[in-house]
Amino acid sequence: MPEVMITKTIDARGSYCPGPLMELVKAIKRGQVGDVYELLSSDNGSAKDVPEWVNKMGHELVYCREDGDCWRIAVRKTK
Amino acid sequence: MEQPKLSVILLSGELEKLQAGSLVSSVASMSGMEVNVFVTMEALKAFRKDVVNARDFKTAGEIGREMLNKNVDLFYQLLENGKDMGNLKVYGCAMAMDLMGWKKEDLIDIFDDVIGVTAFLGKAAGSQVIVM
Repeated sequence: MPEVMITKTIDARGSYCPGPLMELVKAIKRGQVGDVYELLSSDNGSAKDVPEWVNKMGHELVYCREDGDCWRIAVRKTK
Repeated sequence: MEQPKLSVILLSGELEKLQAGSLVSSVASMSGMEVNVFVTMEALKAFRKDVVNARDFKTAGEIGREMLNKNVDLFYQLLENGKDMGNLKVYGCAMAMDLMGWKKEDLIDIFDDVIGVTAFLGKAAGSQVIVM
């Protein structure tokens, strides 16, 4: 996998739905186009919900993978 | 394109229903929908400052009790987040307020206005409606 420059990692482990999504949305709202945010979530629903939101809002899902006991989801702000 | 609209009517004072309605509202707002939340009947009581401060919420069962035990963002925090991150408005029911003799100051600072059914129907026109 090619290296991705992560602008910021958001640690939302231990937070329940929709907490992790909310943290990501806050970061994307404040960020610049082209920024990549990596979300760490221990909530399994995030792995389904976050890509759905990203798709709906037209941003870019860089990856969504399980890493030990949490999910790592990276999103590029496209607009 | 016109912004898709969602209207949520919160009736029940049970934490589980308040939480479910507020969760859908906040996520809809974050996803670009216009959301209008109307709070009436027993649900309105759960937005009183004294009730929120004491976390004196009615629960229907196990899941609601666990929500109070664990550090979960509760319904009013979800609605606040929905307001911060999108187009979400919260309205209190004028009838319930009059009936109970409550003032806007008795409620937590989340309400955009206290309105009647006619005004809410105007805001809800053409939207999907969820009643909890």
